[in-house]
Amino acid sequence: MTPFDIRGTKRRQIKDRIFSGFVWALTFSCLIVVFIILFYLFEKGIGSINWALFTKGPKPVGEFGGGIANAIVGSLIVVVVAAIIAIPLGISVGIYQADNRGKRIAERIAVAVDVLQGIPSIVIGIVIYVWIVKPFGGFSAISGSIALAIMMLPPVIKSTEETLLLIPHTLKEAALGLGASYYHTVRKILIPTGMGGILGGCIIGVARIAGEVAPLLFTAFGNPAMVFSIFKPVDTIPKVIFAYASSPYEDWQRIAWGGSLILVVFIIILNTIIKLFENKWKVQF
Amino acid sequence: MKHSIFKNLALAGVLAIGLSSCSSGGNSSDQNANADADKQLLGAGSTFGNPIYTKMFSEYGKTSGIQTNYQSIGSGGGIKQLMNKLVDFGASDAFLSDDDNSKCPAPVVEFPTCLGAVVLSYNLPGNPELKFTPEVVTGIFMKTITKWNDKKIAAENPGVSLPDMDITVAHRSDGSGTTFIFTDYLSKVSDDWKTKIGTGKSVNWPDGELGGKGNEGVAGIVKQTPGTIGYIELTYALQNSMVFAQVKNAAGNYVKPSIQSTSLCANGDIPADTRISITNANVDQGYPISSFTWILLYKEQNYNNRSKDKATNLVKELWWMIHEGQAQATPLNYAPLPPKAVAAAEGVLKSVTYDGQPILQ
Repeated sequence: MTPFDIRGTKRRQIKDRIFSGFVWALTFSCLIVVFIILFYLFEKGIGSINWALFTKGPKPVGEFGGGIANAIVGSLIVVVVAAIIAIPLGISVGIYQADNRGKRIAERIAVAVDVLQGIPSIVIGIVIYVWIVKPFGGFSAISGSIALAIMMLPPVIKSTEETLLLIPHTLKEAALGLGASYYHTVRKILIPTGMGGILGGCIIGVARIAGEVAPLLFTAFGNPAMVFSIFKPVDTIPKVIFAYASSPYEDWQRIAWGGSLILVVFIIILNTIIKLFENKWKVQF
Repeated sequence: MKHSIFKNLALAGVLAIGLSSCSSGGNSSDQNANADADKQLLGAGSTFGNPIYTKMFSEYGKTSGIQTNYQSIGSGGGIKQLMNKLVDFGASDAFLSDDDNSKCPAPVVEFPTCLGAVVLSYNLPGNPELKFTPEVVTGIFMKTITKWNDKKIAAENPGVSLPDMDITVAHRSDGSGTTFIFTDYLSKVSDDWKTKIGTGKSVNWPDGELGGKGNEGVAGIVKQTPGTIGYIELTYALQNSMVFAQVKNAAGNYVKPSIQSTSLCANGDIPADTRISITNANVDQGYPISSFTWILLYKEQNYNNRSKDKATNLVKELWWMIHEGQAQATPLNYAPLPPKAVAAAEGVLKSVTYDGQPILQ
């Protein structure tokens, strides 16, 4: 018996092992689910990836062939415009929240952001339909973007706030102490320092809205033609998947699998990019 | 730090370029669009007519340069979007009820574009062709007949081996003209149905049935679920090689849904406003669940700052649909309009005005 071998060490070590094994198994099962989904998606979708899918619009119902070029362009327009609306707004609110922790108004905003995050996307779609689509007399890509921008706000606000709170207070104090204005401190010190985290939040937001269909049903509506205007109805990839996957046409189901694969690959690429940037932008204190 | 700032600026630059190119893209295409906007038409509604409408608009677009965006969201949705003045025309397989008509902000006119049949399509092992009486159809959809080997089904189908399988019923979950046609038929053949469930674009279905969105959705459910029966437009069943039942008509004959058996029901007189139900017609070889499908538009086309050119393009396209466009019907298993219906539809289109002046001279 060595001096360090206290009574029960062995038992605790075994307990420890069991617990580690448990955590490992759970992690692994999580990964397995992801891989099964990806594998299934690739298996089903890879066969439908062809040139026509990216270059052609839809054919009349029941005719073979066609693609989702109109929906790819539509999705890009709707998501990019949504990001342009949501990111500046979200970052501003996040900065305010981080700077005014504990104030009553900041607490209320925090509650509001939480509530916003919990609102079902279909409800946001209906609200935008009533507020924007009906008064302006038409379905449009921009109305879809506004609906998606609202959905994108909470992750952007939260990640900005969390990231800025991690930055040492002394950094801000030093900037202000050296005579920098508040605006300069925010723009040249806080945002660049927290860029990794803030961008991460933005990407999470984009990934969240890229696959949404509910808010777009009665805003962006749909369009078999390729349009480059934000004031016209457009098709989006999730809407096409929604309509085609539940249809009886095998060719449409095939296209739906292809569309799903494109969407998922797009999101994987986004995630990879942000991981690269996050590491590059990481500031060590 | 300088490094990060530089990158930050670069990112801002990229965003700014994205923004400007996006908005300028919007503007320039909008300027072209000002000339082109009148050539872009938007319609929504009937999924029953979706196959023929997308085909017609695609064909018409090739020669006229008119780009028609038709969204198959269901007849109920089509009427709703027309009421909100968000589409140029709506499409519905149920003509507007007087009640709906009074809810519209301005007078709406409607005309039929073709005829279709609602078929009872099912998914059974071996896919036998079954015969149904109206009582059996009502029983299945009221859930009083719940097994495929029920005596009432077997009695009409001697020689067919029916499986001992539960019947799963699929119906439309959205506001649907197909549902209207089907429930209109059932209300005519069954008092029980009329009093308990009634006619409508969406009705209170008995519990335990599956809902699908659009004709596409119901056809999808039936095709993918053995033991299921649903009601869909004929063309959806044929395009997807699904089997469907013969139904006993008011004259007492079993009739298979087809272009011929559908047209036979529509040979009677058509009222000037074209609002007529032809389900359960007492025609010797007529298929009893047949119907016209309608397009709806505002009688006065000068609303929401619409240009006269746009209104003219719309009416000309609709005029084409009831004439040259009829050639698209038969290949897609819709029945073309009979001459009397075309005459009535012409009358309706001629009554459409811009600033009170008829658009078609």
